[in-house]
Amino acid sequence: MASDIVLAARPAARRGLGRLARALISDPWALAALGLAALALYWSATGSAPEAARQLWHWWPGLLRGLGMNVRISLLAMALGTGLGLLVGALSLSPAGPMRALARLYVQAFRNAPILVLVYFTTYVFPFEIAIGGWSAPFEDWTKVVIGLALPASANVAEIFRGAVQSIPGAQWEAGLSLGYTRAQIYRAVVLPQCLRRMLAPWMNLYASITMSTSLASLVGVHDLVDTATVASNTVARTDFTVLIYFTLLAMFFAYCYPIARLTRHLERRYARH
Amino acid sequence: MSLQQALEQWVALARPLGLNYAFVLDPAERAAFAHGLWVTLQLCLAAIPASLALGVLIAAGLTSGRRWLARLLAAFVEVTRNTPTLVQLYCAFLVLNMLISRKLEGGNPVSPFMWVVIVVALHKAVFHAEALRAGIEAVPAATLEAGRSLAFSRVQTLWRVQLPLAFRFALPALVNNLVDLVKMTAIASAIAVGDVTYESIMIWSQRDNVLELLLLILLYFFLLTWLVSAAGRWLEARLRMPGYGQ
Repeated sequence: MASDIVLAARPAARRGLGRLARALISDPWALAALGLAALALYWSATGSAPEAARQLWHWWPGLLRGLGMNVRISLLAMALGTGLGLLVGALSLSPAGPMRALARLYVQAFRNAPILVLVYFTTYVFPFEIAIGGWSAPFEDWTKVVIGLALPASANVAEIFRGAVQSIPGAQWEAGLSLGYTRAQIYRAVVLPQCLRRMLAPWMNLYASITMSTSLASLVGVHDLVDTATVASNTVARTDFTVLIYFTLLAMFFAYCYPIARLTRHLERRYARH
Repeated sequence: MSLQQALEQWVALARPLGLNYAFVLDPAERAAFAHGLWVTLQLCLAAIPASLALGVLIAAGLTSGRRWLARLLAAFVEVTRNTPTLVQLYCAFLVLNMLISRKLEGGNPVSPFMWVVIVVALHKAVFHAEALRAGIEAVPAATLEAGRSLAFSRVQTLWRVQLPLAFRFALPALVNNLVDLVKMTAIASAIAVGDVTYESIMIWSQRDNVLELLLLILLYFFLLTWLVSAAGRWLEARLRMPGYGQ
């Protein structure tokens, strides 16, 4: 028994840095990133960077600010979409028929609309400023994009929620009722905790997809990452820089979304065992 | 009743609702909008078969057992799944297209329309490939053994047993992907391909009728996605085999 514990304890102690380092070395994407970092270091040390790379370094803070805008839009859209989606999802499970039909219609409408069209919709149909009483505030384009992305996000969250609740076997409800729980109690103590776990992976998938959709903000004049890259490409006006900046754009989105996808897959595998 | 009269009645009917559809009475704007509808349909009709064909090729490469090919394709799949389609379109149209134009000095054979078809089809092909691979892996080993015991060759087992079953298994996911593909064609407007979204932008920048046009666009996309999912349901019902799948 004692030796068992020792054997089990040893790998646990080695976890952390060693495992992280091993994972980094065995992952081709991490190796590619390390290689690029090494190249950049070599260039800055020897001062032999090509002109395009020098320009990219000059535009780098602007690109990061642009990415910050994308991340801000995605986080707010997801927060709004989750709140709204849970509400709609709860309605779609309501015992009242008309409520269910209404929720169904909402989900169908916003899942089957192209996100770009929804973004145009909120950008051009909403007013330039909101006036409540004597007080008015400008309604900025990026907040309109947040709403435009929150609508499809909420429809998807509603479906994720409905799917998760319905995936809980009906026998658990019966078991709860036979133990004298009320429906609300079963919901809170039995169904919801399991649902949260089941919803996490698809919710993160949705977050990654909404983050990618934030690139559409550039089409309605929001100064996001894609817009910054386009401006940079037009300002510098060098063929090699254009190639570099657009592939940098691709790489930056990839660097943000790929880890989320990896984490999602990891969670899916972990929960598949339960 | 002529077309003109029908349109006039419709405009008159929508006006009390606060919707101004007067643009359909202008022959030039009506023609532009109709052309936009047609271009979006063409984009779908070109990209759907292209995405399916590319999806089969990628799935074949992923399951081929050639390690370098599978690795290369896996990297491509990851990059495609984890980057925005708009950025992919820019990389293709603003970068690759520019380089091709430079090389050929003007005579570029690839039109913006074709770039949209290529990018959208490749993007969805990656999702098709994942669905098909899952379908191929879901074919029970016992079924393949049964095929071999009936003296089917490897190729025969693949074409007559494995792929038909894999296709049936993957069909719901494929139809889902195709619905997404239809919606994705809207990004064509970003590089000024005259699809329905682009033509509408052109019309609403002349008139102030954004809401009216957006409702029409949404209706059109609902119609297209409904057609795709109806076709999918029909195919599923037709291909259903008793005792296999749901």
